[in-house]
Amino acid sequence: MSFAGEWKRRLHMLLHRGQVRRDLEEEMRLHIDLRRQQQIALGLDPEAARHAASRRFGNTTRIKERSMTAWGWNWLETFLQDAAYGIRSMLRTPAITIVALVSLALGIGANTAIFSFIDAVMLRSLPVEQPQQLVKLGVEDWDGITDSFACTELYSYPFYRRFQKENTVFSSTAALFSLVNPVHGFIDNRDQSEPINVQAVSGSYFETLGVGAQLGRVIDENDDSDKGDHPVIVVSNTFWKHKLGGDPSVLNHKLRLGTGVFNIVGVAPPEFFGTSVGNSPDAWAPLSMGESIPPGWKSHGENFFESLWIIGRLKPGVTVEQATANVNVLFPEILRSFPDAKLTQQNLNNLAHAHVQIKSMARGLSDLRRAYSQPLRILMAIVALVLLIACANIANLLLARSSARARELAVRQALGAGRGRILRQLLTESLILALAGGALGIGFAAVANRVLLRMISEGPNTIPLDVSLNLHLLAFTLAVTVATALLFGTLPSFRAIRPELTRSLKSGRGGSAIGGRSPLAKALVIGQVAISLVLMMAAILFLRTLNNLSRANLGFNKQNVLRLDIDSDSKSLKSDDPRLKALFHQIEDRVQGLHGVEAASFSAFTFNEGSWNSKIVVPGMPVDHSVNIQHNIIGNAYFKVMQIPLVAGRSFGAEDTPTSQPVAIISESIARRLFPAGSPIGRTYAIGSPDGMGKQLHVQVIGVAKDVKFDDVAEPEHYIDYLPYSQRDWGFGDFEIRYTGSLSAVSTEVQQAIHEIDPTLPISHVTTLDDQVARSFTDQAIVAELSAFFGIVAVFLSCIGLYGLMSYLVSRRTGEIGIRMALGAGRSEVGWYVMREITLWIFAGIALGIPVTLEGGKLIEKMLYGLRAHDASSLIGAVVVLSLAGLLAGYIPARRATRVNPVVALRCE
Amino acid sequence: MKNVDALQGSLDLLVLKILSRRPRLHGYALMTAISSISDDVLRAEEGSLYPALHRMEETGWIRAEWIKKDSGRRARVYELTTAGKKQLGIEESRWEAVSAAIHRVLREA
Repeated sequence: MSFAGEWKRRLHMLLHRGQVRRDLEEEMRLHIDLRRQQQIALGLDPEAARHAASRRFGNTTRIKERSMTAWGWNWLETFLQDAAYGIRSMLRTPAITIVALVSLALGIGANTAIFSFIDAVMLRSLPVEQPQQLVKLGVEDWDGITDSFACTELYSYPFYRRFQKENTVFSSTAALFSLVNPVHGFIDNRDQSEPINVQAVSGSYFETLGVGAQLGRVIDENDDSDKGDHPVIVVSNTFWKHKLGGDPSVLNHKLRLGTGVFNIVGVAPPEFFGTSVGNSPDAWAPLSMGESIPPGWKSHGENFFESLWIIGRLKPGVTVEQATANVNVLFPEILRSFPDAKLTQQNLNNLAHAHVQIKSMARGLSDLRRAYSQPLRILMAIVALVLLIACANIANLLLARSSARARELAVRQALGAGRGRILRQLLTESLILALAGGALGIGFAAVANRVLLRMISEGPNTIPLDVSLNLHLLAFTLAVTVATALLFGTLPSFRAIRPELTRSLKSGRGGSAIGGRSPLAKALVIGQVAISLVLMMAAILFLRTLNNLSRANLGFNKQNVLRLDIDSDSKSLKSDDPRLKALFHQIEDRVQGLHGVEAASFSAFTFNEGSWNSKIVVPGMPVDHSVNIQHNIIGNAYFKVMQIPLVAGRSFGAEDTPTSQPVAIISESIARRLFPAGSPIGRTYAIGSPDGMGKQLHVQVIGVAKDVKFDDVAEPEHYIDYLPYSQRDWGFGDFEIRYTGSLSAVSTEVQQAIHEIDPTLPISHVTTLDDQVARSFTDQAIVAELSAFFGIVAVFLSCIGLYGLMSYLVSRRTGEIGIRMALGAGRSEVGWYVMREITLWIFAGIALGIPVTLEGGKLIEKMLYGLRAHDASSLIGAVVVLSLAGLLAGYIPARRATRVNPVVALRCE
Repeated sequence: MKNVDALQGSLDLLVLKILSRRPRLHGYALMTAISSISDDVLRAEEGSLYPALHRMEETGWIRAEWIKKDSGRRARVYELTTAGKKQLGIEESRWEAVSAAIHRVLREA
């Protein structure tokens, strides 16, 4: 007999259950009739014959049931019965059901939302062939360009080529530029420029990843065979869809970037977003064309222009250890063999200590992962605790209901329902509640995801991160839902089937004897209070951290500064072109003349924008390799715009020209560290160390500026020096304007002024300096806002729990209270009697929560700024808020207790 | 109740066998057939017969259809399927093996 055939019959039976039942009834009626006729034939009178036939046949209902059971759908029928019964009984108490559903939806939804980010940022593999075989050289994910010797994170193009040829452990090796170039380019001959993020990759990049094109072809080794003259580019699916309208003849189009015109040769597959999660390029161009893509980094041929990441696909059977060993044999060999390697003592020393580490590229690289792994873990813990509180609440509600249902359940047990059957009924009800909550939760998560993505994104476009619902996520949500149902369903169910049959049947209201002191319910409420304290404390700590971060002294005045990016690279002028500098001066002068503008200046960096750093050498001082100087190249009015005070000397001015003595302004910390004796004004130093591969630049100190924060609010002040752009070439982006009056008016005026000078200059990232600083601690802001939200939710849920349990106990004790009052107890005494109990629970919860809070605080210590995890005033604040909220929740039922009319109460009993 | 359960193993065999000789019988006819052929020695209980019929239908050994009887009433009649015929062979040979074994025990013990 075939399995499929059997299932077909069973399914048919399931779908036509009613018909089958009616058929069976008819069949049995015929049977009994035939028997009756036989009995009549034997001589019985019709009435006696009917009786005999029925007697002989037996219990028709039982036979029917047993026959139907043969089809194996019994479980489903019971389930449907239970479900229908459960839904009916839930609808009878809508308030309880709504509270339970909303808290479940919130709990499960928040867990799903946070998990979807954890999944997208931390867990999911790259959508490439066999991602687990991919590894990257270097573990720190530095991005940028260095000329330092024996750098194990960034590599030069010649190094990559030698390594590709000589290694024995990778079946394929690829390199990619560690920075994505955010350029403005033009499609065909359009006048309107488009922002395009271009990722420069080696010819082997797509082949190594095992990614093909959905249209046309990908970049291959021929495109990267020698420097220049391979103007080909592969665009992303998103770029093709949004900027080229999904045009099927996309391969006939061209992109103008800087000095080059690139032929579009292919479109990457829709799921491919490159190798960095949350940072997907719009286009991929071969490294051979590096100098044509603004800002025109040279890469081919320079042995110590180290700017590339190297990735490789492990040969089958090769372990990471074997690969690491091979890489570390080749690394010094290749570096030493370069003819321009400066083998100074210091460099040889560096090389001897250098060890290239290898890390898996299966999940790709991600700045998001670095920034958000810790916050996401903390948030996951927070939402898990919120769900736990919600579970405890629902368990308490069900517990209260199961006590109220004790009589019903006792009747059912007395009528012969098995204990397993009742348990199944109660668990089915929990599961239905959980599933409904889970379904609502998924809806909630979809909305929450969008909000979260918006929160972590800068600018008008959201980060390209796929946090949509997927199988991974559904499995997670389902698991959470079922676990939740078991968590809040099991305890009340087991209590409900405790054999207290006769007592339950005897007393109508369940009586105070049965679990009158309900230790389980109290334990749950106390647990809730304890967890709420933990969450409340976390919320206060994170909010205060956020407050500290936004009020921190940065060394410059972030208020009333407008900042915007102009893409001077789109002019296709070399950075040393005098026309470019003339343009910068013209823009500065014009904007400074505008009404409402106090000062305006270009700069290479302002805050949290990366850095150009190197060592400096001060004549007469030993080279200190631990001092790394960040350089900023600025316009003459920069200190005025930023309101950074000069403590000595002068600022840059018209007297500093390309032909005059190169000058610099240093920060106070440099002056202290490297010019300890006397005033540094007038002294000189060299930028770049003698061991470095670049040229040294000699400058004279003309001023000393106050220290400022440069990269991050939480980190200590950096060593910074400033160079004037009149003397040091730079293709600018940042333009800062100190304004008075209305921001929007000034912003419009400034943009108009820039476009009057040059209508094609792309302006982007128009915002305030304040906002840019706030952007640098988005992660803390998100944690603070969400933990505050969930802290409030937690306290609210706990209050509902307290209120629910208290109301339940008050209603159960109406009789007892009535007696007390009849015997002369005053209203306040009764109120106090009730409040005493609730106060006890709250303080038990707090006493339990304090050590947990202090222990848990150690885990978040690193995320805090300006206060410690065991901050006493925060803890006191959390305790006070929680106690007040809890007491308020208890006060309402307590007041109700004092309104009990003794006569009514006693009559009830 | 107990002897019914004891018969249950062989009830399938009896029903299959009777249906193989006389196809398209309804439940009552099957019962009378069992008792008349066995000279009233074997009596199937209604309480076992109908669940057994449904079980065998579910397994696919027999199939049922409704026919109009001469009296005008509908009757649900059963007949063997191919799988049922095969099963009958298996049950028959098993029964024979068991009864032969019991015979030997009774003779030689």
